[in-house]
Amino acid sequence: MKNALRNKNFLVGIFLTGFILAIALISFVWTPFDTTKLIIADRLKAPNLTYLLGTDHFGRDIFSMVMVGARNSIAVAFFAVGIGILIGVPLGCWAAAKRGFVDELLMRSSDIIFAFPALLSAVMITAIFGPSATNAIIAIGIFNIPVFARVARGAALSIWSREYILAARASGKGAVRITREHILPNITNILVVQGTIQFSLGILAEAGLSYVGLGTQPPDVSWGRMLNEAQTMMSIAPHMAIIPGVAIIVTVLGLNLLGDGLRDLLDPRLQRER
Amino acid sequence: MAYYIVRRLLIVLLTLWVASVIIFAMLQVIPGDPAQLMLGINATDDSIAALRSQLGLDVPLLQRYLNWMSGMMVGDFGYSYTYGAAVGSLIAERVVVSLPLALIALTLSTVIAIPVGIFTASRRGTATDTTAMAITQVGIAIPNFWFAILLVYIFAISFRLVPAGGFPGWDTGLWPALKSLLLPAIALALPQAAILSRVTRSALLDTMAEDYIRTARAKGLTAQHVLWHHALRNALIPVLTILGLQFAFLLAGTIIIENVFYLPGLGRLVFQSIQRLDLMVVQSVVVLLVASVILINFLVDLAYAWADPRLRREG
Amino acid sequence: MASPLLKIKDLSLKVAETKILHDIDLQVERKQIVGIVGESGSGKSLTALSVMQLLPKVCKLGGLIEFDGKDLLNMSEKSMCSLRGNEIGMVFQEPMTALNPVKTIGEQISEGIRWHTNVSRAEAEERARHMLDRVGLPSSKYPLDRYPHELSGGQRQRVVIAIATALNPKLLIADEPTTALDVVLQAQILDLLKELVADNDMALILISHDLGVVADVADDITVMRKGVVEETGPTVQVLKEQKHPYTAQLAKASVHIPAWQNRAQKPAAEPLLQINELNKTYNGRRTGFVSRAPDFTAVNNVSFSIANGRSVGLVGRSGCGKSTLARMILGLSKPTNGAIQFDGKVTTDLDDNAMRASRRHMQVVFQDPYGSFNPRKTVEWLVAEPLFLEDENLTRNQKRERIAGALTEVGLQADAMKKYPHEFSGGQRQRIAIARALITRPKLIVADEPVSALDVSIRAQVLDLLAKLNDDLGIAFLFITHDLSVARAITHEVMVMDEGKIVEQGRTADILDNPQTQAAQMLVDATPDLQQAIERRSANN
Repeated sequence: MKNALRNKNFLVGIFLTGFILAIALISFVWTPFDTTKLIIADRLKAPNLTYLLGTDHFGRDIFSMVMVGARNSIAVAFFAVGIGILIGVPLGCWAAAKRGFVDELLMRSSDIIFAFPALLSAVMITAIFGPSATNAIIAIGIFNIPVFARVARGAALSIWSREYILAARASGKGAVRITREHILPNITNILVVQGTIQFSLGILAEAGLSYVGLGTQPPDVSWGRMLNEAQTMMSIAPHMAIIPGVAIIVTVLGLNLLGDGLRDLLDPRLQRER
Repeated sequence: MAYYIVRRLLIVLLTLWVASVIIFAMLQVIPGDPAQLMLGINATDDSIAALRSQLGLDVPLLQRYLNWMSGMMVGDFGYSYTYGAAVGSLIAERVVVSLPLALIALTLSTVIAIPVGIFTASRRGTATDTTAMAITQVGIAIPNFWFAILLVYIFAISFRLVPAGGFPGWDTGLWPALKSLLLPAIALALPQAAILSRVTRSALLDTMAEDYIRTARAKGLTAQHVLWHHALRNALIPVLTILGLQFAFLLAGTIIIENVFYLPGLGRLVFQSIQRLDLMVVQSVVVLLVASVILINFLVDLAYAWADPRLRREG
Repeated sequence: MASPLLKIKDLSLKVAETKILHDIDLQVERKQIVGIVGESGSGKSLTALSVMQLLPKVCKLGGLIEFDGKDLLNMSEKSMCSLRGNEIGMVFQEPMTALNPVKTIGEQISEGIRWHTNVSRAEAEERARHMLDRVGLPSSKYPLDRYPHELSGGQRQRVVIAIATALNPKLLIADEPTTALDVVLQAQILDLLKELVADNDMALILISHDLGVVADVADDITVMRKGVVEETGPTVQVLKEQKHPYTAQLAKASVHIPAWQNRAQKPAAEPLLQINELNKTYNGRRTGFVSRAPDFTAVNNVSFSIANGRSVGLVGRSGCGKSTLARMILGLSKPTNGAIQFDGKVTTDLDDNAMRASRRHMQVVFQDPYGSFNPRKTVEWLVAEPLFLEDENLTRNQKRERIAGALTEVGLQADAMKKYPHEFSGGQRQRIAIARALITRPKLIVADEPVSALDVSIRAQVLDLLAKLNDDLGIAFLFITHDLSVARAITHEVMVMDEGKIVEQGRTADILDNPQTQAAQMLVDATPDLQQAIERRSANN
């Protein structure tokens, strides 16, 4: 705990992430303005005292939209990471326990998935099944599966080579039990760190998909969606594009710093020295 | 060595084949009938059937896959009805935009990132290092298309230094063409350079902590000499891995970036074709992109073997 | 009298506010061999790295280091570079990682030569070739274009020595140069160092945790503990008189023989473990389209038996197949063919479920007290793990009682069970590992190098514990070790393994005092023996 307070990356990361999470949660109960009401008279206002971050071409308050948009951006990234962990981690652990053919098959399949530029495939998937936030989750989630499978496999393999695994086997424990009791607790740290990285990539991917019109659909709001609408207004209302971009950067930056900080804090090599 | 290369090559072919099956299968599950979609709701059943047979949609699935594959073997990528042109010539037209764009971006990212990585690693802990790393940390967080919009606003709209979008074609001369690729390339390259320079730095620092670095220092070599002659080549492997991944990322990035800049490249072609359900174009372009990723990764594998003698004799 | 080659006076080393070295004094004359001995954490390696000025930046040095009249602590980095490798060479502990994997050994040796002397590439390579010959890697068999991964650990250490001595430095520092090698290689490397030092008029600082290693080689000896020099003096005098209590304690611990009542016990008639013509062959790895490396036979037609309550040593060089054999006995690896009979049951063909009863009576203790516990579980959980093999379901209290009992038996408090493994020292962890092995009341414990990673004083205590367990509980032991002094201390019988085969077996004293085969002879000759070394050295004086 003391170390956590001394780790700058962790502190800044948790602050930024916490801030974004907070505004997303607050938006459920309160926003400065109602984002579903269009006030055409107030359209394209630059930031001012009434509208802290200005308004868009329908006269909606951008500050409120950033708050509401955070919900969608975070939700898409969160569920996409969830898919990756729930499917990828068991696969990776299975491959590490079985080795041989299963392992080879898993590695080669993940090679194949990695050969598809992720965004290209996400574009294909969302285009084929129709653009929606749900399909964006699935499209991003599919590419998280091999990421988590590989990370889990690599970490699990190194745990499998420890002597305490031999001791557990000498105690008659089978692969499933050993994975549950010895492997999983010891690879959680690595998975948490990878999780924050994939989370931030998920935010970026959602933004990209929504920006080209394949993610969150109107009237729902997300940061990528806001950028999509801002592009044509660029020359008259640049704040419409700048603000959601900054929101994305702050979130991704926060998550990356949090990941770096966690990696340092959870590193067993550092723990031993304590 | 020959065994290593041939083994990799076999894996490449297998991966390519599986990828082609996946792409083909994915496009079969598209809801709706492309022929119906192209002709609109007023079309007669007869005309739809005629178009279906023209599109080759009336033969069995396996036959269709084989036709497509055997066509591609001889350079026949099929015919696009929405563009009214052979897919092959469409690709040829577009590839001269996308390929230079990806290459310029990759080169730009590499020539920026590797020196930054080396420089910061050799000055670890100094103010220069801390500042540079803070900048790269932000750089990673910037979505490239947002950066692109910003660049357009600053350099094209405010200062009018470069065109805001579009592509004049190579026949208008080298400079005008390059000028229109400049902003997109920078938008693609800088966020990538941020990642690559961090990877280079941390790979170098990890390597500098190895035992053999101490052995080299005990010979009397200076810290700088050891960094260049011992650490760099060992640190290259993670850097190569990221370079390989970045190529795939750049290709995907072109889809969005080409949309921001209205560039007539492969990314925009595939994006528009998906929306028009022009399967022939989509599957051929996607296979081409996937193949180039696989090829790049094969080259990265060869580079590994060059960088690390331990791999040369193993399988 | 000329000034000494190296003079260290009041050397102190601080990391942040913690002082790690306290007022170290050390002197090395020209052509002299000085041994530095100490257990882990004594600061012996840090002292060596201080001389090289290769410490991490966080270390702050104070005091004086004078080499050949030059003040090293106030020297510029540039002048230090011209000194390192040229006038002071250094050999490190871990030969497997000490060489750059992507450069040939020729490049790595000639690099230092060219750096310091301006000779042409061809000439540097000629000298590198000569150095390889000199360290026992004739260039006809080991050309300059070999990569480190093509060499074994012992060969790599020879290359490191060639690098360190290529320019005939006045001082060579060897930091635990043989600790990672088996005893036979250790003896060879020590001989090589002695020869090089004598032929080239070098001085040598030999750092080791093993008094036996230093006793044979060093003129002077310095004993360190916790960053302090405890004693310094001529080797023979220091070790013979053992005036300083810590030196005496170290010397006693390194030749420790536990009091063991069962030592003279006659073997029981019925065998507990019987091994019949056991084999383990690994397929060679694929190296080309049709070619494979030749198959590797790790265990070759091995037969032996262990009677109830007997302690048997399995000794041999590293890579001789002893650990593979142990894993097959424990049912962790399937033999290629042959049979293992344990407690009247053939275990070779049993599946995991049928194996449970046998496993209950056969437990294991590993070498590494750090790697043998899951760091995220309490000692209670870890010690209880083998109870998984019990058929009846134990209540929580019954379990607790068994765990407390096992911990008490190995000399720990029962309340240790609430703690995590990292809260214990290396020796205590090895006790916990033994408690874990005891909890099912096994008839046999297979111990794979159980004391090799421990400091000598702790090693003595663990050996005492193992002897007591044999006395009190009648547990049979199979000790796997490359260290004959362990075998001598705690086994009735010993088997010598060489290249997958058991080449010699019999009563421990018979084999160790009078080895018949070349493999056994080599092991016996190579094992450092403090008592003999002192006698030999005093006779020469």
